Amino acid sequence: MYYPDQRHMMAWTTVRRERLLPEDAVGTVEVRRGQTVNLTDVIARGSLPARYVYVEAAAALGLRRESDLIDRMLVELGETVDPGQPLAGQADGRGRRVLAPVGGVIAYIGRGRIIIQTRPETVELQSGLVGTVTAVTPNRGATIEAFGALVQGVWGNGRRAIGALRAEPPGGLEAIYDDSIQREYSRAVVVTRHPLTAASLNVVAVQQVGGVIAPSLDAALLPQALAMSAAVMLTEGFGNMRMGPQAASLLEGFAGRPAVLDAHQPGRWDTVRAPEVIINLPPKSGGRPPAPDVDRALSPGMTVRLTREPHAGWHGEIVELPPAPQPLANGLRVPCARVSLASGETVVVPLANLEFMGR
Amino acid sequence: MAAQHYGAILAADFGNTHTRLVLLDLVDGAYRLVARADARTTDNFPFNDVRVGLARAAADISRATGRRLTTDEGDVITPEQPDYAGVAYFVATASTGRPLRALIVGLVPDISVSSALRATAGAYIEVVETLSLDDRRSEEDMLNAVILSRPDLVLIAGGTEGGAREPLLALVHVIEQAVALTERPRRPVVLYAGNSALVPQVRAAFDGQTTLFIASNVRPALEQEDLDSVRQRLGQAFDRYVGNRGSGFDSVGRASASGVLPTALGYETLVEYLGQTSGDSVLLVDVGSAVSTLAAYRRGAASTVIRTDLGLGHSAYSLLETLGSASVARWLPFSVQPGELENYTRNKTIRPATVPETLRDLYLEHALLRAALAALLETSRPVARNGGAPPDYRTVIGSGAALTRTGSPGLSALLLLDALQPAGVTALFADPHGLAPALGALARVQPEAVVQTLDSGGLERLGTCVSLTGQPRAGRPALRVKVTYENGSVVEEQVAGGHLWLCPLAEGESAQVDIRVLARGAAVNGRGRLRLQLIGGRAGLVFDARGRPLPLANTPAGRAAQMPQWIAQAAGAPLQEIDPRWLKPERAEREKPAADKPRPPKNPPSNARRRKAAAAKAENDSSDSEMEDLRNVLS
Repeated sequence: MYYPDQRHMMAWTTVRRERLLPEDAVGTVEVRRGQTVNLTDVIARGSLPARYVYVEAAAALGLRRESDLIDRMLVELGETVDPGQPLAGQADGRGRRVLAPVGGVIAYIGRGRIIIQTRPETVELQSGLVGTVTAVTPNRGATIEAFGALVQGVWGNGRRAIGALRAEPPGGLEAIYDDSIQREYSRAVVVTRHPLTAASLNVVAVQQVGGVIAPSLDAALLPQALAMSAAVMLTEGFGNMRMGPQAASLLEGFAGRPAVLDAHQPGRWDTVRAPEVIINLPPKSGGRPPAPDVDRALSPGMTVRLTREPHAGWHGEIVELPPAPQPLANGLRVPCARVSLASGETVVVPLANLEFMGR
Repeated sequence: MAAQHYGAILAADFGNTHTRLVLLDLVDGAYRLVARADARTTDNFPFNDVRVGLARAAADISRATGRRLTTDEGDVITPEQPDYAGVAYFVATASTGRPLRALIVGLVPDISVSSALRATAGAYIEVVETLSLDDRRSEEDMLNAVILSRPDLVLIAGGTEGGAREPLLALVHVIEQAVALTERPRRPVVLYAGNSALVPQVRAAFDGQTTLFIASNVRPALEQEDLDSVRQRLGQAFDRYVGNRGSGFDSVGRASASGVLPTALGYETLVEYLGQTSGDSVLLVDVGSAVSTLAAYRRGAASTVIRTDLGLGHSAYSLLETLGSASVARWLPFSVQPGELENYTRNKTIRPATVPETLRDLYLEHALLRAALAALLETSRPVARNGGAPPDYRTVIGSGAALTRTGSPGLSALLLLDALQPAGVTALFADPHGLAPALGALARVQPEAVVQTLDSGGLERLGTCVSLTGQPRAGRPALRVKVTYENGSVVEEQVAGGHLWLCPLAEGESAQVDIRVLARGAAVNGRGRLRLQLIGGRAGLVFDARGRPLPLANTPAGRAAQMPQWIAQAAGAPLQEIDPRWLKPERAEREKPAADKPRPPKNPPSNARRRKAAAAKAENDSSDSEMEDLRNVLS
């Protein structure tokens, strides 16, 4: 049995997403199980590690023994202090005093010194979904369940955007320069079927487009894409690839709907989630939609996406899974499937180059 | 020693893309590879639990053997049950996931720090920070460096036995402070391998604060180094790290008889075992998706090099960044398009398990592989290399899918020969079943099982290669070979310089081979005439008359004449010539990032104007192309 990689593309599904603070943040969760949340609700707040500052207090006070410092402390461990606030000295204010050089939290008192942890950078974690909290991860975040359409990509620039989903204007992204069009696309999440170019990325940045979903971009443009405040998600990869018609049609069919574009940037060691766009949809009659089937082995009849040239981005149906490895045109011999394409052609494709889209 | 038979043995190796499972069992009184299976590793989205992939592979084995191996939760059943379910013995190795972030503390960079770094060379470790007496930073800056680098492990070395104590203690206090200021669940493990006189103070500093491992002093004297003890403790620290990472590894570690060992440790143990039992030098290489490993046994010592920046999947772009485009392009028989390598490797990084379908992509993939292998060998100097001369390993083992699943044993052999360029007579093996880490993990506890599995063909013997040193002239006679088979039949061949010849000789069969070197200045094992008894393999006997170092052409056109021919000769496949269009230097301008402050055009072109401009451009491109063709005709 071969279980293919999964990259979901579904018009109506149940989405469960774990939203967590960054790994190094210390935080608190502000929602409870069963609570309904909106797109921009803050579900957790945390602080990122900050620098520590030494204050050689015993030396500054002229104490002969380091252990004497404890009797001269004017603040306690864990107390928050402001810059210039007295930390140690005589309680009555006479004599020498040691003042806080920075604001922060008293992290350590001992060996004649005080260590202050400077004020950490705080982070807020938004829900990013209209849904219900199904589980809480203490100090880190929560799992939220929502219903809607889901399209996962392969790369994101690490930004997130919430806005109305729009198909690109007929003239392409570059046409958003026109003022009458610009208003419609400002803060929207725009879908383009064409590879991103330097010019189109420029337009996205200048015209304050909230996010863009595109098939591909040349890797040379990565610095530009990473520096943008708009969210950028690629559905196919790097280079000059066009968006598959199925993904484009699905996304364009939801034009006007509010969408959450989570353009997660996959790291080399961090592939815990995929970049994705979720279009929240109101519940339909007939109960909850099925979640993606993450435990589905490849089988005839299954619709799959082909991920490598010469058929990158194409969709097709598995017609046969030959038991023995098959020869490829380049001489390799690997386990393959025979896939029927929309064009009517049947091609032999390595199993490793097939992705399942959820259902 | 009598064989210590336990019953069925299951071994799992968790790689970054694949989880490989092998079942060894007693057949007619000896261990054999009974079944194998692999599945995608599932420590990431959407499962975040390696047991899912383990259970999938186990289910495949169960279907083939009728033996149930895992519970419904994916836990390995051990010991063996009366109903034939489960196994007597389970071992697990892993190379998946982020390497351990390590902070190295030592007194002198050239002495204790350098020994500590050597000790970590065989572990999946990324050194994120180093503290030593040479550090000019204030104590406050050092403390912040420790905390903000967020290490998983602090390795403290330093001080010879009976040597100075205070300088090392000062550094230990910085670490102690940093550990105390870090939230308890995120505190790093501390491994102490310094002056043993300080062990009581080190215990007092860290006991109760975090997990502390004590190893023997890694540098007991200035001229003495002891890496074994610290490496053993690093293995334990790795097991603990992997277990703490979640993703089901805690459960796998509990079921495994020896916890979860680093895959590289399995490799090292295996080459050491093979080297000791054969008395020969052994080299094992594995270019994986995220990590590349070289394990070598030579002159009585085993060593390992791990490169977490080289790989063909997750680390493909890192490989390109680290080695540079030129190191990869030198293995390509065509002109690289601007951005082609970066786009290719970026795409491999996001879809690491995919395989090339086109000829051009296959060349790109194998160019990355060859570049990674060459870099691994270079990193291993001076341990694995024979000084400046080509490596003289008698046995070379290739592991990992890229080397073993080429569809042709000859092509697997060619990839090893190209990148490693062994000289003389070399036995070439592949590990298509991913057995090597398992055999290494078993070598110390179940040596009989290892011997018997190897004897029964656990590793695939590609064949024996005879490589000519020197620079034979291309196309001129370089070797005269006479192969006399066991049945008395004889095959004779004259091999030209710059060519390979593969003589069929089945796995397990041997033949007498008479070799006469015809090329001036060339030799095999330093001799001009040899009579050898050689063993065959799936590729047979390989006679490599290309010379050493490999005379790879400097231009794409030169390589286009060489490489397809080598592949055809090695794989026994029809020659796939390079499309002449691939040799033209790229003319198209690559997309450039726009200026920092872009300005919108005052009058954006209308669709009609855009269409007109596009048509004009197409016309220009077409005439450019015609001009180019004309130039080619004229030239």
